[in-house]
Amino acid sequence: MLKLEQVSKTYGNKNEKAVDDVSFEVNAGEIFGFVGPNGAGKTTTIKMIVSLLAPNSGKIIINGIDNQENILEAKKQFSYVPDSPELFEKIKGLEYLKFMADVYQVPTAARQERIEKYLDIFEIKDAVNDPIGSFSHGMKQKLALVGALIHDPQVFILDEPMVGLDPKASFELKKIMRDHCDRGRSVFFSTHVLDVAEKICDRIAIIKKGKIIEVGTMAEIREKAGSQESLENIFLELTE
Amino acid sequence: MKEIINLTKLFINESLGFSLFFYNRKFNKKEYYKQLFTLIIVPVALIPAFFMYVSLMSATYFGLTMINQTSVFLSIGYIMATVLIIVFGVMYILSEFYFSDNMEELIPLPISPRKLIISKFLSILVFEYIFAAFIFLPILIIYGVGQGMGLFYVLLSFFVFVTIPVLPLSLMTALIMLIMQSTSLKGRKDMLQIIFVFIGIAVIFGVQIWFTSQLGNGDEADFQRIMNTLLTNNEGLLNMIGFAMPTSFLMAWALNKITLMSFVWVIALLGITFLACALMVAIGERVYIKSIVSGKIMKKGKRLSSDERSKALIKKSHGAMAVFTMDLRLLLRTPVYFFNNVSVVIIAPLCVWISFSFIQIPPEDLQGMQDFFREMPVLVNFLLIAFFIFFGGTSATTATTFSREGKASWLTRMIPVTAKDQIMGRTGVAILIQSLGILFTIIAVQSIFPLALSTLLLTIILGILGSLPILLFGLFMDMNRPLLNWDNPQKAIKNNMNVVITLFVGMAYTGLLIGVSGLLGYFVNSILGYGVFVLISAILSFVFYKVINERLESEFLNFES
Repeated sequence: MLKLEQVSKTYGNKNEKAVDDVSFEVNAGEIFGFVGPNGAGKTTTIKMIVSLLAPNSGKIIINGIDNQENILEAKKQFSYVPDSPELFEKIKGLEYLKFMADVYQVPTAARQERIEKYLDIFEIKDAVNDPIGSFSHGMKQKLALVGALIHDPQVFILDEPMVGLDPKASFELKKIMRDHCDRGRSVFFSTHVLDVAEKICDRIAIIKKGKIIEVGTMAEIREKAGSQESLENIFLELTE
Repeated sequence: MKEIINLTKLFINESLGFSLFFYNRKFNKKEYYKQLFTLIIVPVALIPAFFMYVSLMSATYFGLTMINQTSVFLSIGYIMATVLIIVFGVMYILSEFYFSDNMEELIPLPISPRKLIISKFLSILVFEYIFAAFIFLPILIIYGVGQGMGLFYVLLSFFVFVTIPVLPLSLMTALIMLIMQSTSLKGRKDMLQIIFVFIGIAVIFGVQIWFTSQLGNGDEADFQRIMNTLLTNNEGLLNMIGFAMPTSFLMAWALNKITLMSFVWVIALLGITFLACALMVAIGERVYIKSIVSGKIMKKGKRLSSDERSKALIKKSHGAMAVFTMDLRLLLRTPVYFFNNVSVVIIAPLCVWISFSFIQIPPEDLQGMQDFFREMPVLVNFLLIAFFIFFGGTSATTATTFSREGKASWLTRMIPVTAKDQIMGRTGVAILIQSLGILFTIIAVQSIFPLALSTLLLTIILGILGSLPILLFGLFMDMNRPLLNWDNPQKAIKNNMNVVITLFVGMAYTGLLIGVSGLLGYFVNSILGYGVFVLISAILSFVFYKVINERLESEFLNFES
């Protein structure tokens, strides 16, 4: 569903690679967790997947489409929620959702049904006619999530999705992620909350200084680490 | 004091992005050269305008010498500089004190409100001193050289110059702080900003109308003669303005003729300036932080029922229309954008209307103008077309289209909208604004010069077509070098070189296009003139469209690299 092949990225004229020869694959029906210390290259990798940054080398294939050769078609395959969703402050929540439904060409009945469903789940129905500038960080995140789910994407990509969400919304999001994958789609997300990654991810990749240092299921990672400890402990050992 | 200096440096750095500039010099050469180019091109681009201004002021001075009225020269300059500082300063004050995000980070720190207020004020002053140097220094120098003044004049001029932006800005800041702290204005800060800006424009118009009415019919008068008329026919004029701005008397008494009393007047001027500053700080200490803390509340919309939400979502829009609607909403709802991109289409036709309304054109002159129009429709048509292109070229709507989105631009870059739809949506907004300008102009002109429908259609179509290359060039510029990293929307426009470049290129293009096709139309054949106009505009538009269409998707990938 999502495949990265030897992807590298360098910023400016620095010699140090932000992302260095990264390869992994996210399969259909899989929740894939992406963990690593601050500055390891998680957000850069995600930005290259969602066509906000161009890799210096390597290939990114989303649902069979190369995101550098056919950018537009690739964009239709995923939706993305950044770690701190900066949205248009002067636009009302509902106007934002209509915009998202329009640009993804979501049929009328489907957009009405999905927006109602997710507004209900994230409990922002009452605020949806307010300007986004009046929203709290968490509410902006919820709105961005609703906007990202409108077109029922093949690959749902999230950067630090739990930050800012209240416990209920966080719980609901995890349910949505699982439900999404149960319908044969995929979820790819980065997180620092290793407990969450351990509990909900089918597979996990650990990135350090731009390089993938481990990929696999929790069992596989434990086996390679020769330890039955939690992901947190293994992560600390691997990234030290 | 050290803390104030550090804070001031921080605010200036934040405004101009020095840290980023030096970071880019080391780590991101491409961005560094872009910024360096901007730093060089801005002063270079302003040189011709500055020389024109200095020439105009020199001519005014010599005109006044002839009628032995040089004593009012400094007063004219002082009043003009003060008015301009107030008008442009309002936006800076509002931006720095009320629309900048940095207060959210600074309020929790153990810094006294007094230091924050003084630092913010000083950071505005730095820019205003640069502005005042362009406007007022030439006046001081022309007068000093013309009168053969000595060292004391230089010394006293320096102190006068030091006070010139401080006094009006202190009072303006105090006034804005008092209005902003009113609790009834909660959630309406956008509206307030628009009101302030339009008050500023109203002041300019008021002065303009008043001056115009003082000039009578103003036939064939050049600037010198206008000034002479103004001064000889209306001796009380400067006194009247002077009473509204009493410090202009102190300045005039101090500098017109250097005596021992000049030092007293300059000390008085410094004293008044200091008091105004102290008043502003005292008011600020009482109300500023309080109004910032309570002023973040935005006006909420009404609660919608499920049916109302469904109804709002029912109509599907095409990608281009979605981009168009979003861009237009941002433009109309953000006061800074509205003022910079939209207000010109209201102000320019208003100027035309005011000129026609307040200057009484004698019937024989009017008849002459109408005869001229009938005899040379080609020239008049091209003049109208040039005016219509002006709305497209000056609005800078496309030249800031991506920059205006700032940090939220990730959204429009991520969505699956074709380059064609992006171009259509964004250019469409600019054309809509331009069309409003055209419409208002026609309404303003129609009462004096009723234009035939065929003339209207021809000039409107060619006006819009002729401006398309400028609009697309603006889009091309902003696609290549968007300014996304800003903390207040003012910077997306005011710090954006795309606006200046598009304006200059647009002016040069318009001049050439109108010149070539107008001359061909007048001297050879009108159809040929219009034909050449259409051909050049269409070819340029096509070329820009093709280039943007080809490159937009890949350029989106470079916005953050």
